[in-house]
Amino acid sequence: MALLQIAEPGQSPQPHQRRLAVGIDLGTTNSLVAALRSGIAEPLADAEGQVILPSAVRYHADRVEVGAGAKAAAAIDPFNTLVSIKRLMGRGLDDVQQLGEQLPYHFVAGESQMPFIDTVQGAKSPVEVSAEILRVLRQRAEQALGGELVGAVITVPAYFDDAQRQATKDAARLAGLNVLRLLNEPTAAAVAYGLDQQAEGVVAVFDLGGGTFDVSILRLTGGVFEVLATGGDTALGGDDFDMAIAGWMIAEMGLSADIEPGAQRGLLRAACAAKEALTAATSVVVGYEGWQGLLTREHFDGLIEPMVARSLKSCRRALRDAGLEAHEVEAVVLVGGSTRVPRVRTAVAELFGREPLTDIDPDQVVAIGAAIQADTLAGNRREGEELLLLDVIPLSLGLETMGGLMEKVIPRNTTIPVARGQDFTTYKDGQTAMMIHVLQGERELVSACRSLARFELRGIPPMVAGAAKIRVTFQVDADGLLSVAARELGSGVEASIQVKPSYGLTDGEITRMLQDSFQHASDDRDARALREQQVDGERLLEAVQAALAADGERLLDAEERQAIQIQMDELRSLLAGQDQAAIEQQIRRLSQITDAFAARRLDATVKAALAGRNLNEIED
Amino acid sequence: MGNLCHFARFDLKPAFRIDLDDLGVRYRKRAREVHPDRFADAGEREKRQVLEESAALNDAYQVLRSAPMRARYLLSLRDGELPLEVTVQDPDFLIQQMQWREELEELQDSADLPALAAFKQRLKAAQERLNDDFELCWQDSARHAEAVRLMRRMQFLEKLNHEVRDLEERLDD
Repeated sequence: MALLQIAEPGQSPQPHQRRLAVGIDLGTTNSLVAALRSGIAEPLADAEGQVILPSAVRYHADRVEVGAGAKAAAAIDPFNTLVSIKRLMGRGLDDVQQLGEQLPYHFVAGESQMPFIDTVQGAKSPVEVSAEILRVLRQRAEQALGGELVGAVITVPAYFDDAQRQATKDAARLAGLNVLRLLNEPTAAAVAYGLDQQAEGVVAVFDLGGGTFDVSILRLTGGVFEVLATGGDTALGGDDFDMAIAGWMIAEMGLSADIEPGAQRGLLRAACAAKEALTAATSVVVGYEGWQGLLTREHFDGLIEPMVARSLKSCRRALRDAGLEAHEVEAVVLVGGSTRVPRVRTAVAELFGREPLTDIDPDQVVAIGAAIQADTLAGNRREGEELLLLDVIPLSLGLETMGGLMEKVIPRNTTIPVARGQDFTTYKDGQTAMMIHVLQGERELVSACRSLARFELRGIPPMVAGAAKIRVTFQVDADGLLSVAARELGSGVEASIQVKPSYGLTDGEITRMLQDSFQHASDDRDARALREQQVDGERLLEAVQAALAADGERLLDAEERQAIQIQMDELRSLLAGQDQAAIEQQIRRLSQITDAFAARRLDATVKAALAGRNLNEIED
Repeated sequence: MGNLCHFARFDLKPAFRIDLDDLGVRYRKRAREVHPDRFADAGEREKRQVLEESAALNDAYQVLRSAPMRARYLLSLRDGELPLEVTVQDPDFLIQQMQWREELEELQDSADLPALAAFKQRLKAAQERLNDDFELCWQDSARHAEAVRLMRRMQFLEKLNHEVRDLEERLDD
C-alpha cells in the first residue's frame, strides 16, 4: 500500500490534516455534537441520520442505553431512566430535595455532598450520567470525522455557577474528552450568528432551553465578541412549562398531587406533546388514560405567564448591568427549543421592540457556535482570523466575613480571566489560623449564597489582633473556573486551593468513576479500531483507484486489472459493515495483489526520473 | 509585566480625560494578543503567564473606563495607595449627600419610575461636573487636597448609583 502512494520527498501524501475538534451542546433535554467540515459548521448525525441525541440515560443490568430508546422507556422504567440530569449537575442533596417532587429517583448520599441516584447498576452521580451522554457523542464524532479528537468545546449555561461548571468538566474527563474550553451557551449562539452575518453592534441572546434560561448582552466588533452582561436562571425552562400543563391536567382530572413516578412521566409526556402542538395550533385536545380536555393557547399562555415574566425580569437586569436601554439592542437572537413557544416570542419582541432572529435552528445554534470556537482553539484558523470571545462571570464571588456576611471580591459581569486580591486581618491576639469560606451569589447573607469551598490558612505568626495582613486572591480562568490562594504578607505563609466545590465530587469518587469507565474504554477502543481500519481501507481504495486511472492501462493486462477490481469490490462491501478483522484481512489481500503493480509503477517512475521527467507529469 | 502602569498597557500617557471609544479599540487589540484562547496549546507555565497577563489587562481596562476609579488611580500613581474608606471632611457635600439619600428613600416609597429616571439623570450631571472640576486640578500639586476631595465625591456618587440600581431591581419585582 505504501508504494502506491507515491509522493515527492517532503510532500505529504494527504491534504493538510486539520486537527479534529468538536463543539458539544450538553443540554437538559437534548444534546448535539457539531464540527467544521469543509469550512462549514454543522451538527454530526448518528448512523440513523439523527442529529439530536435526547439527553436520557437508561441503566440496564448489563449495559447503558443513551438517547431516544432510553427516553422512550422513561415511563416504564422510571427509576433506572435518568432524564433532565443537567438540572442536578453541581447541586447538593439539599437542593435536590427542593426539586424532589418532580424527580422520581431514589437518591442516596455519597462521600461528597453530591446526590447519587440508585439504579440497577448501583449509585450513579449526575456527573457519571452526563459522561454517558458525552461518551456517545464523542464516539459519534470520531466515527464521522474518522480520527481521534484533540478536544472539545463544551457549552454550559452562562448562569452556571462554579460548582456546575466543575461538574461539567468532570463529566467530560470521565468520558475521555479533552476540554478545550467551557463556553457559555448564549456566547456560542452569538458566534454562530455573528459569523454568519458579519454582524457588528449590540446583540441580545435569549436562550430558553429545557431546564435553564440565560440571557446575554454582547457587543460585536470585528470578530471580537464582548459580553457586557449576562443573567438567567438555572432552574427555568421548557420542563417547567410541561409541569405547568401537567399541574393543570391533574387539577382538571381531580387527581391528588401524589402520583406514582411512572404515571408522572406519562403525564409529563402528554403535557410536553400538548405544548409542542400549541406552537402551531391555537388549541389542542389533551388525552391521558381515558380522560380528555381542551387546552387553548390562551390558557397555556396564562399557565406559563409567571415563568415568562421571570425570564423578562432577568433580561431587564442584564440590560441594567450592561448600562443599556432595551432599544439600544440592535438584534435579538432566540436560542433553545422553548423559544418556539409563541408567547415567549411575542414577550421577547415586546421587551426589545423588535422581531427576534430565528434563522439558525434554535436547537442547533449553540453546538454550531461551539464547533466554530473549537476550530479556533485547535489552531485551525489562520492568523488574524481567530475569533476572540470575552466572557464574564455570571455571579459575584466573595468571602464570608464577620457576622455571617458575604464580602464581594469580584462582582458579577466582570470580564474573565480575572485575578483580584482582598486583604483581611486577624481579629484575636495571637491568632495563628484563619478560615477562608468562598461564596458565590448576590445576596448579603452567607446563608443565601452558594458555598463553594472552605479552607484554612494555618501557621500565621502570633501577632496582636489586626497586625497580620492576609491577602486572599481569587483567580477565574477563561472557563469561568475559580482558584483561591491566601497568603500572610508579613511571614509569607501560604495556602491555596483549586476550588473543589462543596457540591463537587471527592477524589475517591472520581477514582472509582474513572475505574468504571475503563470497562467502557474497551468498547471505545473497539469502536475506534474499527473506524481506523475503515479509514485505512478507504484510503487504500482511493490510492489504488488513482493508480489504476493513471497507469492501469499502461502497466497491467486486462486479467490483472480484473483481479484487482474484484478485491477492491470485496473491500468496498466490507467497509460498509462492522467486521474489523475481515476489513483488516481484505486490506492485506488487496495490498498483496497490488504489490506487483506498485513495483512496476515505481520502476516506471524511476525510469522517468532518470529521463529527467517530473513525477507529476506521470501521475497526471 | 504584572506591575506595568494601567495606562502603559494601552500605550497611553496618564490622563484623566480619555477617549473611551479609543480605549475600547486598544483594549480589544491587546486582548487579542494575550487571551488564553490563543495559547490553548502552550505549556502550563506559559498558560499561567498568559492567564495573569490577560487578567491584568482586564483589570486595567476596568479601572480606566470608570471615571471614579481612573481618578483614584491617577492620584495613587503620585501619592501611593489611598485608603479606600476614610472619614471625609467635606461639609458641603455631606449636605448634598443627605438630600440625595432622602430623595432616594422617597422614590422607594412612591415607586415613581419616571421620577427615578430623572433622579438618575441628575446624578449623571453631577458626575459630569465632578469630572470637569477634577480635570482642572488633579495635576496641580497646590490643589492636591481638592483633587482628593473630588475623587471621594465621585466614589460616593458611584455608591449611590449602585443603590439606585438596587432600587430599580426591587421595583421590578
